[in-house]
Amino acid sequence: MIPVGSRTATIVDDAVSPSAVGELRARLTGYARYALVDRGSYDAIEPVADSTVRAALAPLIAIASRTTDRQLALTELRAIRLRAGDYLLAHHDRIHDDYPIELVLDLSPAASAAELHYRRRGQVMFRMPSIPGSLAIVERGPTVTSNHTYVSKRTPEVEVVRLVALLGDLR
Amino acid sequence: MWRVPDDERRWGAAPPFPHVVVDDVLEPAALAALFEILEDEPVERYVADLYAFDATAPVPTTAAFAAMRDDFAGTFAPWASRVTGKSVRGVDLRAYAYRPGDYLLPHADHQDGLDRQLAFAYYLPSPEPPTGGELELYACRLDASGAIVETTSAALIDARPNRLVVFDVSTISLHQVREVLAGTRLSLSGWFYP
Repeated sequence: MIPVGSRTATIVDDAVSPSAVGELRARLTGYARYALVDRGSYDAIEPVADSTVRAALAPLIAIASRTTDRQLALTELRAIRLRAGDYLLAHHDRIHDDYPIELVLDLSPAASAAELHYRRRGQVMFRMPSIPGSLAIVERGPTVTSNHTYVSKRTPEVEVVRLVALLGDLR
Repeated sequence: MWRVPDDERRWGAAPPFPHVVVDDVLEPAALAALFEILEDEPVERYVADLYAFDATAPVPTTAAFAAMRDDFAGTFAPWASRVTGKSVRGVDLRAYAYRPGDYLLPHADHQDGLDRQLAFAYYLPSPEPPTGGELELYACRLDASGAIVETTSAALIDARPNRLVVFDVSTISLHQVREVLAGTRLSLSGWFYP
C-alpha cells in the first residue's frame, strides 16, 4: 500500500479465482467501440448492468471498505477491453474531486505487459500490471488521472479486460 | 548539405490537412557528416501515456548539433514560408530513434502559448530499416462547438530515408507515428516558428 495523506493505492493478488475470472469475463457482452483516437482506442461496456457481475463485486467492495476504513457502495461500473493497438490516454480520464475509491478487477484471459497507470499531477504514482484475478484499490482525487497503456501490435494475441468500479461513501 | 526543393509544392491539396512530402533533400555526400553530429548528441529514453522513444534533449547540448539545426532552419524556413504562406524563421529540432515497440499516439501539436506554425519530420537511413513507423494523418469531423466527434485515418506516409514531411499545426491536425514492429526508425523532427 502507498499511503499518501489519506490516499490509498494497493493491489490485492488473486482477489477472484481463475474460474471466476473466466465466468465474469464471459458475462461481459455488448461492447461498444470508442475511437476518438486523440483520447483512446478501446471497447467499453458502460454501464455494466449484468446482475451476476455486480453481485460478484460485493466481497471486493468489502475488502475496499476494510482497506480504506470507509463504508463504500457501488456508484458506477464499466468494463474496458483493449486489444493490440489500443490505449486510453490520461487526458481522456475523468477528474474526481470527491475522493471516490476506484476498484479495478483484471479479467483478462492471460497476463500481459499491459498496465494501468495512475498519475498524480501527471507523474505515474501507481502501476497495476495485467494479471488475471488481481484487484487494484485506488483513491481518486482532483489531481489523480489514469491511463491504460498502449497494447503492442507485436503481441496480437493479447486481450486486456478490466472491470472498473467507482465506489462512494454509503450515506 | 541540404537541397531546397526546386519546385513549389501544392500546400493543402492532399487530404486530410495541409502537408507536403519531399524526397532527396540531403546531399548523399553529407550524410556521414550528419551522422557524426548525431553520434555526439546524447540520447535519452522518453516514455509517457502518449509515446515511447529515444530522443535527444529539447535543446541541443553540442555546438555542432545546434549549428546543424540552424542550418536546417536557414535552408528550409524560407522555402516553407513560400510554400505554406506561413512566415517562419526558426525551428526546434531533435533527433529520434523509434525501436521495436516504440510509438507516438495520435495527437495535435498545437499548444496554447506555443507558436508552432508547422511540424516537420526528416527521415534518416537506418542500419535496420523499420517495419511500421509510418506517419499517419487523421481527418476530424467537428460538431457545432468545434469539438472533435469523429476521427478517420486519411493518409499514411512511409518513413522513407532522405524524405522530408512538413505539415500544418492546428487543433485538428491529428497525426501519429505508428508503432515500429521491427528495425529502427531514425528521424529529425520538430516545428517551425515565426
